[in-house]
Amino acid sequence: MRSLDIGSTGMMAQQTNVDVISNNIANMSTTGFKRQNVAFMDLIYQNIQRPGATSSDIGTIMPSGIQLGLGTRVAGVYRQHQQGALEITDNPFDLAITGLGFFQITLPNGDTAYTRDGTFGINQDGDIVTQQGYLVDPAITVPQDAIDVTINESGEVFAKIQGTVALTNLGQLQLATFVNPTGLDAIGNNLFIESDASGAPTTGNPAEDNFGAIRQGALENSNVDVVEEITNLIEAQRAYEMNSKVISTSDEMLGTITQLR
Amino acid sequence: MENSIYVALSRQVGLEEKMAVTANNIANVNTPGYRAQNMVFKEFLADPRGLKDPLSEVLDYGHYQSTAPGSFQRTENPLDIALTGPGYFGVQTAEGLAYTRNGRLSLNINRELVNASGLPITDDGGNPISIPQNAQDIIIAEDGTVSSEDSVIGKLKIVQFQNEQLLEAAGDGLYRTAQAEQPSPNTRVIQGAYEDSNVQAVVEMTRMIQTSRDFQGIQRLMQSEHDRQRTMIQRLTQAG
Repeated sequence: MRSLDIGSTGMMAQQTNVDVISNNIANMSTTGFKRQNVAFMDLIYQNIQRPGATSSDIGTIMPSGIQLGLGTRVAGVYRQHQQGALEITDNPFDLAITGLGFFQITLPNGDTAYTRDGTFGINQDGDIVTQQGYLVDPAITVPQDAIDVTINESGEVFAKIQGTVALTNLGQLQLATFVNPTGLDAIGNNLFIESDASGAPTTGNPAEDNFGAIRQGALENSNVDVVEEITNLIEAQRAYEMNSKVISTSDEMLGTITQLR
Repeated sequence: MENSIYVALSRQVGLEEKMAVTANNIANVNTPGYRAQNMVFKEFLADPRGLKDPLSEVLDYGHYQSTAPGSFQRTENPLDIALTGPGYFGVQTAEGLAYTRNGRLSLNINRELVNASGLPITDDGGNPISIPQNAQDIIIAEDGTVSSEDSVIGKLKIVQFQNEQLLEAAGDGLYRTAQAEQPSPNTRVIQGAYEDSNVQAVVEMTRMIQTSRDFQGIQRLMQSEHDRQRTMIQRLTQAG
């Protein structure tokens, strides 16, 4: 009975769907989180009767064949990089990107990671770092005697130093964009690394060309839309139930057969 | 003497196939670009020797796919594209050109537009479309023209067929056919959305219940025919 196995492929696929949705909901207040969704594909087909087969010796053609599909599978989990809402925090080292681009972070092993999470701070040396203490690239050091730090839309960092009138330019933050950000490899802690699918990064100054602008004193919230996730969850649960009904109905039909004497 | 059992058997075999088709539709209720299938049964006149009335058996004649458009899911992802109208995208596979309605694309290592199984989506000449290294934006116009922010990269192959029912499903959302492809002027491409499965859950569930009940009905018919034959054999042997 094919329908038993077909029903189980459907249940397994919906299980993955629920897993992804629950991860989205769990991260609904994670700064810079980008929601994911699952793409399904149909499995191979068994040709009982090939479409276009001739049905008689005078060459008449069947209008369509009999192809029995064998279920579904998860083809991929996509990440959706739409802008999340901005939350004002007034913390000088909280940075949000409005538009395209990622902050570049130097990992302890020297590789560069990318993130939309701009919850930065300064370490004991005055370097701007992430919550994990990883350096923001290009590195910017805030002097000990700075009273106030201002970061403008185009990523220039200025400090007001005790006893001076003019602001001191500390450096320029840069952003990286990818042609296919969906293909970035998530490594946890809100960080992504480059992959073959994402393409190589293009770096540039914020608010130039198509790079997004930087907003100081704000954070980008997760782009998870809870209403949509709950709707998807209901949909996934119902689809799961329907597939389980397929299995129980197939089981009933098999039971019917075994009752034959 | 076994004719009525055979008639019932032909229906039962058909119902089992129908159940498999329904199960596949339900399993693919969330598969982008999937199209619901349905079985067609036909009366098949067997010609039993010496009987005045011919017997009607059930023949699984074929299946048809629903060509109703699926619902559109907006994602705002530039590489999610949907088709409105009767068209299909071209996909390059190891076994030659295939067609699909599934427009959830991404880029591979060569920066070519590929589907979720990594097969390249083709341009109107049948070649993969590669996005130049320096492109930052990918814009796909309604007529399938793919361009970056400053130049045109190529045009997606969008074709239709005289008879969509003759398309042979190959799995992974792909279809193959020997039919000649035709240009599809009435098909438009929408960027930032994909077409979901066109399976209607209510219809499939109802069909499944019906299939299951039909199956039980046939079983009862076979059971009573079996009882009738047994009674007949018992009576006749007692008489002897």
